[in-house]
Amino acid sequence: MTDFVQLVILGLLAGGVYVAVGVGFGLVWGVLNIVNLAHGALVIIGGYLTWLLFTTFHLDPFLTLPLDAVALFLLGYALQRGVINRVIRAPLLFTFLLTFGLTLVIVNVLLLVFGSDFRSVTPSYAGASLEFGRVVVPYVRLASLVVAIGLAAGLAFMLNRTRTGLAIQAIAADREAAQLVGIDLRHAYAVTYGLGAACAGVAGGLIAMIQAITPTAGQPYTLQAFVVVILGGLGRVSATVVGGLVFGLVEVFGQSIPGSGSVFTNAIAFGLMVIVLVTRPQGLMGRLH
Amino acid sequence: MPVRKLALLVVSVFAAFACGGSTGPATGETIIFGAPLGLTGSLAKESELTKQGYDLWSDWINARGGIVVGGVRHPVQIKYYDDTSDPNQSAVLTQKLITTDKANFLLGPYGSTATNTDAAIAEQNQIPMVEANGAAEAIFNRGYKYTFGVLSPAGKYLQGVLDMAATLTPKPTTIFMLSADDAFSLEVAKGVETYAPTKGMTVFPTKKYKNGTTQLSAEVAAARAANPDIVLNSGHFLEAVAINKAAKEQKLNAKIFAYSVGPSTPDFINSLGKDADYVYGGSQWTPQVKYTPAFYLTVPQYVAAYKTKFPSFGDPDYHVAMSTMACLALQKAIENANSLDQKKVRDALAVLDVTTFAGQIKFDSRGLNIYKPMVVEQIQSGAHHTVFPLDVADAKPKYPTPPWDQR
Repeated sequence: MTDFVQLVILGLLAGGVYVAVGVGFGLVWGVLNIVNLAHGALVIIGGYLTWLLFTTFHLDPFLTLPLDAVALFLLGYALQRGVINRVIRAPLLFTFLLTFGLTLVIVNVLLLVFGSDFRSVTPSYAGASLEFGRVVVPYVRLASLVVAIGLAAGLAFMLNRTRTGLAIQAIAADREAAQLVGIDLRHAYAVTYGLGAACAGVAGGLIAMIQAITPTAGQPYTLQAFVVVILGGLGRVSATVVGGLVFGLVEVFGQSIPGSGSVFTNAIAFGLMVIVLVTRPQGLMGRLH
Repeated sequence: MPVRKLALLVVSVFAAFACGGSTGPATGETIIFGAPLGLTGSLAKESELTKQGYDLWSDWINARGGIVVGGVRHPVQIKYYDDTSDPNQSAVLTQKLITTDKANFLLGPYGSTATNTDAAIAEQNQIPMVEANGAAEAIFNRGYKYTFGVLSPAGKYLQGVLDMAATLTPKPTTIFMLSADDAFSLEVAKGVETYAPTKGMTVFPTKKYKNGTTQLSAEVAAARAANPDIVLNSGHFLEAVAINKAAKEQKLNAKIFAYSVGPSTPDFINSLGKDADYVYGGSQWTPQVKYTPAFYLTVPQYVAAYKTKFPSFGDPDYHVAMSTMACLALQKAIENANSLDQKKVRDALAVLDVTTFAGQIKFDSRGLNIYKPMVVEQIQSGAHHTVFPLDVADAKPKYPTPPWDQR
């Protein structure tokens, strides 16, 4: 029983990172209709920023997260305004190619700047955990989950309660109508992509504490974000939260299948994604338009 | 054009002096070694270390005029291509090195997977390839005649740790083995499973995980439930760091933590800080070993040469030393064959038996260097120390590893 409780906790905590990675990816996909293959690369930029601030200014990694968000927002805004907007109406394949190309550029710039050394942020409290008998709750992961949920809540608040957020939602619902009522499409698109990148930056800061990063370490996260968003359902932040937590639980319980369960975690996660797509194409929490 | 004439004069005077001054063998055609490496992509770090090892040797040999064959000195040029860490691309580039660049011999790429694909090309073209970064025995079980590996094979990676553990008191008796699911890591795990019983230790069923996973909480939870004396991981750098972090979070306390790959690199200490202390790692080579080389440099000379050429890197790690060792094997085989003929050099490699700064080179019938032992390193107070075998060790193992909350 304690083993079961422990696994549930570890699964939910693992899900925290997937929530953080997933919300930005889901936002960009839902509003801009771009499957942003550069998302993982943006995540790793956030990771490097946190590492840089931690090692040079000894800034607490959690305090670096807002800075990651601001820096990545600006980068995302510029990327969308300057580059991606040019192909936003082009067929899906073009945005695929472009964002894939951006990944290559970002990864190789990071390789030039930071080299391929492995980096990790290990503050003094890393690895400390709360204990309830045999069950442990690692602080850093718990805090990461809280940050991820907070990030999702902040994003949901912004989308539903602010003018900019409502404008973004309006575009997602009907682009032409949104333009007719005077929404500046290019600006709103760039803000959306910037917000997605900002979420990626925060996720990267969390990831730098949990694992070691290199410029190429972001690629798996693009894939995981994709699965998380489909699991939860496109178009709602809360759905991505559910998707991320479910993904974390599936992963941890998959890994615990005796024998070589963890070899098949990807297969299990993708299998679940296929089942969801077949039985509930709108996702676990999604609404059909 | 008086300037050009003057320049010509200066050059010819220098050339005359140079020729007049030299009494050694004449200079022959340049020998080309081909090496595809993942200079970009996921293996960029290790590939860079491999290239350093190759370059260190080529500088040394060319400073001596080259390899002497039939009384003629042949300079060596190593021709590199970037295979972007893609094994298929590596194979394509190996063929290009042979066909277009007319490489006489091949040096290995980085990693077992790429070495495996490149070995097939070397075999088809009957060009000897000496490699230093593919330790999976699968490469050598295919009956190839032209591929030679200077590394101790995968199965031996963690056996040194078990040898060491058997000498410690209280003797650890139970092992929990975590392993990535790639060919190399599974061979390391299999080596432990078969070797541990001979040392009176029992191994829980190996917990396999997907190669490249950084989310290993559940695996560590399984290890914690088993409460073993020894926790072993056979995987790669990222997994080793993830396991060490999760072990601390979940308070997995074992007497020995040993990881096949990771602890020997400076990045491991940089990434984990003091949490890296007490961790053991199997290593192909350390700067502390004491072999007596038959040629080339001694260990201290090698370390000094490395630090001069790559001042920002600290001590050379085993990837570098092994890569240099591959070059030494080719050099010695070419000298012994006294020929640049690929078949003759291949035969000379097969019977090679020489000790270098990095240990003995002697290949079994499959082309594997099974005669070189692995050494065991432990991280103590943020520094690497060689702790086993005792005759090359510079420190005693700090045993047992204290529980996480008492560090």
